[in-house]
Amino acid sequence: MTSIAEREQHPVHHGPPRPPGGLRRLLYPGFLRAAWMAPLFFGIGCGIVVLCRWWGGWHPIWFGEIIVLVGALTAAPIGFLAGIGAFDYWVRYAIGSPTQPEDHSGHGAYSWKDYFRVNTDHKVIGMQYLATTILFFLAGGLLAMLVRAELAKPGMQFFDNQTYNGLFSVHASLMIFLFVIPAFAGLANFVVPLMLGAPDMAFPRLNALSFWLLPIAGIMMLSSFAAPGGAFAAGWTGYAPLSVHQPMGTIFFNMGVQWAGASSIMTALNFLVTIITMRAPGMTFWRMPLLVWANFTTSLLVVIATPFIAGSQFFVMFDKVMHTHFFDVAGGGYPLGYQHIFWFYSHPAVYIMMLPGFGIASEVISVFSRKPIFGYRLMALSLMAILVLGFSVWAHHMFVSGMAPWLRVPMMITTLMIAVPTGIKVFSWLATIWEGKINFSTPMLWAVGFVSMFVIGGLSGVYLGAVPIDIHTSDTYFIVAHIHYVLFGGSLFTIFAGIYYWFPKMTGRQYNEKLGKLHFWLTFVGFNLTFFPMHLIGTQGMPRRVSDYAPQFATWNLFISVASFSLGASTIVFLYNMITSMRRGAPAESNPWRALTLEWQVTSPPPIFNFDEIPQVVGNPYEYGVPGARHAILSGDRAATEAEVRSH
Amino acid sequence: MLHAEAHHGPPIANQSSRVNASILGMLLFIASEIMLFGAFFTAYFFVRVVNGIEWPQPPFELPVFVAGVNTAILVTSSFTMHWALQSVKRGNRAGLQAGLLLTFLMGLVFLLTQAREYSRVGFAPHDGAFGTIFYCLTGLHGAHVAVGLSILLFMTIRAFRGHFSAEHHHGVEIGGIYWHFVDVMWIVVYSTIYLL
Repeated sequence: MTSIAEREQHPVHHGPPRPPGGLRRLLYPGFLRAAWMAPLFFGIGCGIVVLCRWWGGWHPIWFGEIIVLVGALTAAPIGFLAGIGAFDYWVRYAIGSPTQPEDHSGHGAYSWKDYFRVNTDHKVIGMQYLATTILFFLAGGLLAMLVRAELAKPGMQFFDNQTYNGLFSVHASLMIFLFVIPAFAGLANFVVPLMLGAPDMAFPRLNALSFWLLPIAGIMMLSSFAAPGGAFAAGWTGYAPLSVHQPMGTIFFNMGVQWAGASSIMTALNFLVTIITMRAPGMTFWRMPLLVWANFTTSLLVVIATPFIAGSQFFVMFDKVMHTHFFDVAGGGYPLGYQHIFWFYSHPAVYIMMLPGFGIASEVISVFSRKPIFGYRLMALSLMAILVLGFSVWAHHMFVSGMAPWLRVPMMITTLMIAVPTGIKVFSWLATIWEGKINFSTPMLWAVGFVSMFVIGGLSGVYLGAVPIDIHTSDTYFIVAHIHYVLFGGSLFTIFAGIYYWFPKMTGRQYNEKLGKLHFWLTFVGFNLTFFPMHLIGTQGMPRRVSDYAPQFATWNLFISVASFSLGASTIVFLYNMITSMRRGAPAESNPWRALTLEWQVTSPPPIFNFDEIPQVVGNPYEYGVPGARHAILSGDRAATEAEVRSH
Repeated sequence: MLHAEAHHGPPIANQSSRVNASILGMLLFIASEIMLFGAFFTAYFFVRVVNGIEWPQPPFELPVFVAGVNTAILVTSSFTMHWALQSVKRGNRAGLQAGLLLTFLMGLVFLLTQAREYSRVGFAPHDGAFGTIFYCLTGLHGAHVAVGLSILLFMTIRAFRGHFSAEHHHGVEIGGIYWHFVDVMWIVVYSTIYLL
């Protein structure tokens, strides 16, 4: 613990030291060092494989699949991370050198270049997350456009079956693992420490590392298109034993999931420790903003559930590469085991993809209705209820899989029960809006759009929870409609709400309100035109995941394809708005929405260490319209503190 | 922006819990590790209980006695780890160094014994679901022993270079928690794979 006075004696150096010139630059952490360390580690990985196979007498000694797995998908990314300097501090620690006293040289952004290095500032990391995830969102969206182009007419247009299967598989994997989950992590990274009154996350270096795993995972999944045999094509669910017998692209998916999963486990652990140990004085659990609550429960889900998808992908990979028998009946394996293990993660994962959105919606709806959130404690407790129930419903994805029949009804009951805490949340949002002084700015439009669309997705979810309806609509477009109403109308709408809501705080500039509204309405209409008809053709029996279909569905499919292109085009408005507003938007005030939570009580963008002094929390975060209510007291009076220090 | 002048460091974060952040982080990490083992044990459950294959599958046999001796070695290493931590808490540097070194050596013996077992056990991961589960569960645990050994190695290096003291020993404590986890996990693996 250093006091302010001690810090004054050791002036803090800001920003990284200037990189040395000449050849020494090759040793300085950065992309240049990564450019030689990644190939070096690839070589080491290959060497280990060849040595082991030679020593064990396995032939051929040079075996493509294992070389790709160990060299390209494991060792080279580690080399890249070492090259950009993600491990520098830990390596110094491990070999016993005196670790430098924390000089914050890796903290904060002073120029655009600081966004392209290992940065320990949670605000910079949040922006890195958002920029990266939006790139993968665009990639995933383009893949969806290709899927819709193929489906515009019956018969085969542009792609063969295997390529088509690869397109929708990579689309789903990018959107889930590289967009929705990490985009929420990015928003929370920026906002949660500020909301808690903390100067940074608990483990800033771990935070930086978890960001840099993401581009690795995303590039891995995208590059599977270049693998012999094409991209992984067994869907994002990758059911075994089908996925075991796919071309090499499958292991790109297996390993991509491992990297993305490691990233989200590390981030979740960081959030949990930050929320538990770094709250400002007076910030009890019952005074935390609901976004913090939402990320707390989400992080618990991630820490507990994500290892299961890691396991399921390891098993597929071992079955494929090492010819083990996890899912091979002939060898004594149990094929249904894959689905159980996979869904034990992937059902909680839909809450991982939704709960942070619930948090954002709560913030936005309360602020823009100028009313305290209705039923604050129940809002928080319903998150915990979803967390607990979320682990008891996984087999509702498997009603038609041939699993033990006695599992069906219990799973149906728990699935229907989970609608109760979700219903509590929906009605609390409505009650918050009720008789409020509503300000329909862009974030509020997205939040209200989210509530209405999520109710549709939630209700079709209740239908699907009932065994008879699920059996009828299993693997039809009804499922596609449901998942998009929940993940697009739910998660994506709240991500947009969050991006618009915190845009002034993140960039210090205001976005263009007219373009924001245009973006919302284009997306809202395009979204409903695209996905609502899928309910209809789904109940009529159009199967999902096929590149060709019966002619009776031709009209609707053409309609959906045209609507989806307009939906895709609406993203251009968003990008244009973001880029131009970031560069030339009107300067933002520190608190344009007159919100009470702590992130709005500092300048826009926030100071490099968030607060000059840790604030004192004195009340609830949502007392809008309550005369004299305060959430926190900040002493902005730094001059007085410094004068005090000097007088010592 | 009018803030963040060059001489101003971060404010000291409020400590809102009595738990040390790093120890809490390690405990949460172990929670997720337990779930990873849980996924592997689920696969074990499906193969052995649901499918009901013979265990060990004839004609293969498991070296229960040698693995039992190995278990004893690993369990003992947990005690030496504890001794190392207690020593550094009392400021006894020699005890810390000896404890860490002994723990490291016993861990290494465990891992080498397991490698020797792999080469002599007489079946491979692709010899049926029994071989698959045996190799993957013991292999997953072996990978954790390897990670634990690296952590022990780092701690030992730091201990010999004079880094820990009676006041600052979180590094030993956190690495120790991980080592105890690896040890307890082995007891579970040993009893389910070898004994049951």
